[in-house]
Amino acid sequence: MKNRTLKTLTLLTAMVLPVSAMAKADLVIATDAPPKAMNPHAYSSDANLSYMSNFFDGLLQRKAPEGKLGPALAEKWQRVDALTWKFELRKGVKYHNGNDFNAADVKFTFERMKDPKYSKLLNIANSIASIETPDDYTVIFKTKKPVPWFAETMHQNFIVDKESTEKIDDGEYNTRAMGTGAYKFVEWIKGSYIRMTANEDYWEGAPKYKNVDILPITEESTRFAALAGKQVDIVNGVPVTLFDRVKAMPHVEIISQAARRAIYMGIGNTVGTPFEDIRVRQAIAHAINEKEIIEKIMRGQATMANQIPDVPTVGYDASIKRLDYDPVKSKQLLADAGYPDGFEITIAGPNDRYVNDEKICEAVAKYLAKVGLKVKLDVKPKSIFFDELTSNKYHFYLIGWFDGSFDFGRSAEKLLHTPDKDKGMGTYNGAAYSNSEIDSLLIASSSIIDRAEREKALQEINKKSVADVAWIPLHYQQDIFAVVKGKGIKYQPRSDRWIVAKEIK
Amino acid sequence: MTTYLAKRLLQGVIVLILVSMVCFAMFRFTGDPVVMLAGKDATYEEREQIRVAYGLDRPVYAQYFSFLKGAMQGDFGRSYVSQIDALDTILERFPATFELAVTAMCISFVLGVGLGVIVSISPNGVISRMIMAGSLVGISIPTFLIGILLVMFFSVYLDILPSFGRGDTVQIGFWRTGLLTLSGWQHILLPALTLSGYQLAVLIRLTRAGMRETLSEEYIKTAWAKGLSPAKVILKHALRNVMIPVVTIAGLSFGELIAFSIVTETIFQWPGMGNLLLTSIFETDQPIIVTYIMLAAFIILSINILVDLLYALLNPRIRYE
Amino acid sequence: MSRDKGLMRTIIASKRMQSFLGDPSGMVGGVILFAFFFAALFAPYLAPTDPYDLTTVDLANFLLEPSWMDQGVSAFPLGTDDQGRGILSTILYGLRTSLIVSVSVVTISSLVGIILGMLGAYYGGILDAFIMRTADTVFSFSTTLLAVLLLGVFESRGLFTVIIAICIADWVKYARTIRGSVLEIKEFPYVTAARSSGAGDFRILFRHILPNALPPIFVLMAVDMAVVIMLEATLSFLGVGVPLTEPSLGMMIAIGKNYIYAGMWWMVVFPGITLIGMVVGINLFADWLREELNPKL
Repeated sequence: MKNRTLKTLTLLTAMVLPVSAMAKADLVIATDAPPKAMNPHAYSSDANLSYMSNFFDGLLQRKAPEGKLGPALAEKWQRVDALTWKFELRKGVKYHNGNDFNAADVKFTFERMKDPKYSKLLNIANSIASIETPDDYTVIFKTKKPVPWFAETMHQNFIVDKESTEKIDDGEYNTRAMGTGAYKFVEWIKGSYIRMTANEDYWEGAPKYKNVDILPITEESTRFAALAGKQVDIVNGVPVTLFDRVKAMPHVEIISQAARRAIYMGIGNTVGTPFEDIRVRQAIAHAINEKEIIEKIMRGQATMANQIPDVPTVGYDASIKRLDYDPVKSKQLLADAGYPDGFEITIAGPNDRYVNDEKICEAVAKYLAKVGLKVKLDVKPKSIFFDELTSNKYHFYLIGWFDGSFDFGRSAEKLLHTPDKDKGMGTYNGAAYSNSEIDSLLIASSSIIDRAEREKALQEINKKSVADVAWIPLHYQQDIFAVVKGKGIKYQPRSDRWIVAKEIK
Repeated sequence: MTTYLAKRLLQGVIVLILVSMVCFAMFRFTGDPVVMLAGKDATYEEREQIRVAYGLDRPVYAQYFSFLKGAMQGDFGRSYVSQIDALDTILERFPATFELAVTAMCISFVLGVGLGVIVSISPNGVISRMIMAGSLVGISIPTFLIGILLVMFFSVYLDILPSFGRGDTVQIGFWRTGLLTLSGWQHILLPALTLSGYQLAVLIRLTRAGMRETLSEEYIKTAWAKGLSPAKVILKHALRNVMIPVVTIAGLSFGELIAFSIVTETIFQWPGMGNLLLTSIFETDQPIIVTYIMLAAFIILSINILVDLLYALLNPRIRYE
Repeated sequence: MSRDKGLMRTIIASKRMQSFLGDPSGMVGGVILFAFFFAALFAPYLAPTDPYDLTTVDLANFLLEPSWMDQGVSAFPLGTDDQGRGILSTILYGLRTSLIVSVSVVTISSLVGIILGMLGAYYGGILDAFIMRTADTVFSFSTTLLAVLLLGVFESRGLFTVIIAICIADWVKYARTIRGSVLEIKEFPYVTAARSSGAGDFRILFRHILPNALPPIFVLMAVDMAVVIMLEATLSFLGVGVPLTEPSLGMMIAIGKNYIYAGMWWMVVFPGITLIGMVVGINLFADWLREELNPKL
């Protein structure tokens, strides 16, 4: 009996030892969103793309901090004419499995991206009419209609190895990641961590940290606990509520930088509703005390927005002003519009999508109640919220937006254009705001190739949308990162919040 | 006996089928998963493409039958969110939940029965009164509050125990365990205490009541009179009798244990099945939800049958015809 | 069938054991219970502020400490939460939600359970088998698990949905309890006598059987009040219970949880104490009731 127990114990120890002897990670990063699948095309969310950017490369890449487009798997690229894009590929790049990277992989990748079974990046893939590969290191795309932002998306269309991907596409195409990236996939323990190890043969040179763990921690206070307990080196998404606490930690350096995402209230102008009257829309805008929202709810970790696009976006116009907080004027406007006693208004919003989203909705509800509106609050999980939003169930809602392609035209087609299923326009125009003048300006702008001219046209649309109160901009989120001091970690956060481990020095 | 078992098994299968039907009927009232899946760049047309690719364009009954057909062969479909096999996704999390539940059950069993015996031996002592007062608070405090208070005290105030995750884990075959490392034990302590809280309090009360009744019975008095040692009387004669209701209740409250594990895992970010379920609920990941419910039903039904058998073992007077 | 009876007996036996448990501290429980009911009923008059009147709640008052501490303000004796709502006032309004939900659930599910259990036991046959098989299944899933699953799958969430979801899971306790009593009572000589003297089923059920089957139900109702209050708090804590716009103790604790690392303990501790106090009160009362009625199950 005793002997057997002893034997079992020895056996167990033997099994345990090699595992626990495995190296501890050199760098541990905590993020606020877990990866959903290890398939680079499975999701267009920044959270999933962020993980993938470590295992894969795009034809192009954006580098921290300002996100300028630069070469990656393609060394050169050019827009040959309105419909044609040519990419010259890098030579001598190898996948983690030893396969060579070439033009056939690029063609395969974009064809795979058209299949809804594997890909949610249908948008860009479906805009492609044909892909030609004249030789192993040249790819020529022809698009169906002019897509001015085609190259701008190439940092997030990750290239996969044709041979090995075809093999796994019938089965486990979502559990392991294998590309040309700076890091090799080691393991994904769902709900716990992602482990990766440096690709010593990376074409840009081996990254500094050999073993890197990424811990997705969705709960705000838990992220704080991990930082306080010195269990992580970098935290992406320091909770705003605990900002002061983190700041007071001697071992932590805080980096707070403007995020690209604008938070705004969407509003409709549907005929027969009070919102039809621009004075009502103006009154609502005047009622909201955005300064207080930033101070109290965002703890100062946000910057006031006058418009939806952020500064680096084509279409941003510095001359646009916001409607000031002025409850007296707001009441006056409501009275002028024929609603001296207010009316019933429902504020919709998600409660698990943006920083403090439901708290902002609650605050807006208070401001509107104070100018005499009868407010109902309707916040729900994003899975339900976005479903209802896209079926135009709301008149007034909170939403956040940023466009990875730095082009206001692309956003406006989804947010501002009258909802139109056939044209694929206005998908996220939740309250069905409709302005035929803006619609036609928008359509006209998409075929402008000259960048300066295009910028002017988009600025015009932007100005008109704010003047007509098609939306009420609130603020741009601020991204807060924490880095542990004394380990020599040099980290420059990116504006798209991706954690690209090779950039950490 | 065999007929009885067969009957129970058949009943179980019927229940499982009914449960799955109810699930599918309910899903008509949840949000549309396609919108979330498609992401912000998708147009209407692309969304419909995804709907077709996932088979969500078909009528509910058709979806149900293909689910049933797959389920018979052990294929519960793929998670909408990760596109990974639903059953695998859940089973991967099973060890975490199992270790938590078993640790919690051990705590509540040992402490519950132990304290119950202490209380019944000297019902009026100071310690007994304290234990009983504690058990009253124990049944009056919801699991989530136990968890938060433990975190506040041990993790925030004293700062001696970790408040989230499983710590270092070790993979043995298909099983990933946290019970072979020091950090694993540190991490399981607070969640297991949280999960055991309610059952612990119930078991103290149950044992005490049972012991009180049994200790006054004739055969126990005879045993005392025969001069048997107190340990023998209590452990062999009295406790054995008390075990019947204790085992029954523990078995019957297994559903409760699963429910509270959802709460506990959420508070402690424990990477188990309950945590996964809640995330899936908020993501409308229907295949995961159905599979979880089916699995939970399966486990509960099996435990019930097992308890019945155990019950017959403990109480030889019961015979199933 | 006989096995089922055996199982029932065991539970019943354990309940009898339990009945010896409580010290008659029922008075304390009764007083606590009364105080909470009083506070909930008169919340609008007792609360210093109305935390759900959007026109008066001011974001400027957010995250204030309790009034006896340095940053405290006397208008908010127990401090405020992150929206500037007074904790004391929100607790008082939250108590209302707790009690509305628990009283509604206990009333509805006891009625449904009593009727179904009684009919099943009295008439037996397929009806009984069907009701009891359903009840067994629901029972083994446990009220908590079933309510979480139902509400999780259900899209619209509100007070009404919460009540219904809990009721769906909760009636079986009553059905099972009453069934046991009725099966026993219906064989009593006075019932057989009534039947042979030509009394109708309805009369026998409600005049002769029900009154004698009720005592254990009363005890169960008292215990169930406590269980439902905890359940509502748990559901709201998980985010599948009452919506943000309704006050709830569970929701308060969920919000406060994000601030415990910031040392802002009052958002968790005060609603927590209230919740525990209320449930302890009800349980003390239930223990006392059990001793008092001494239901012969």
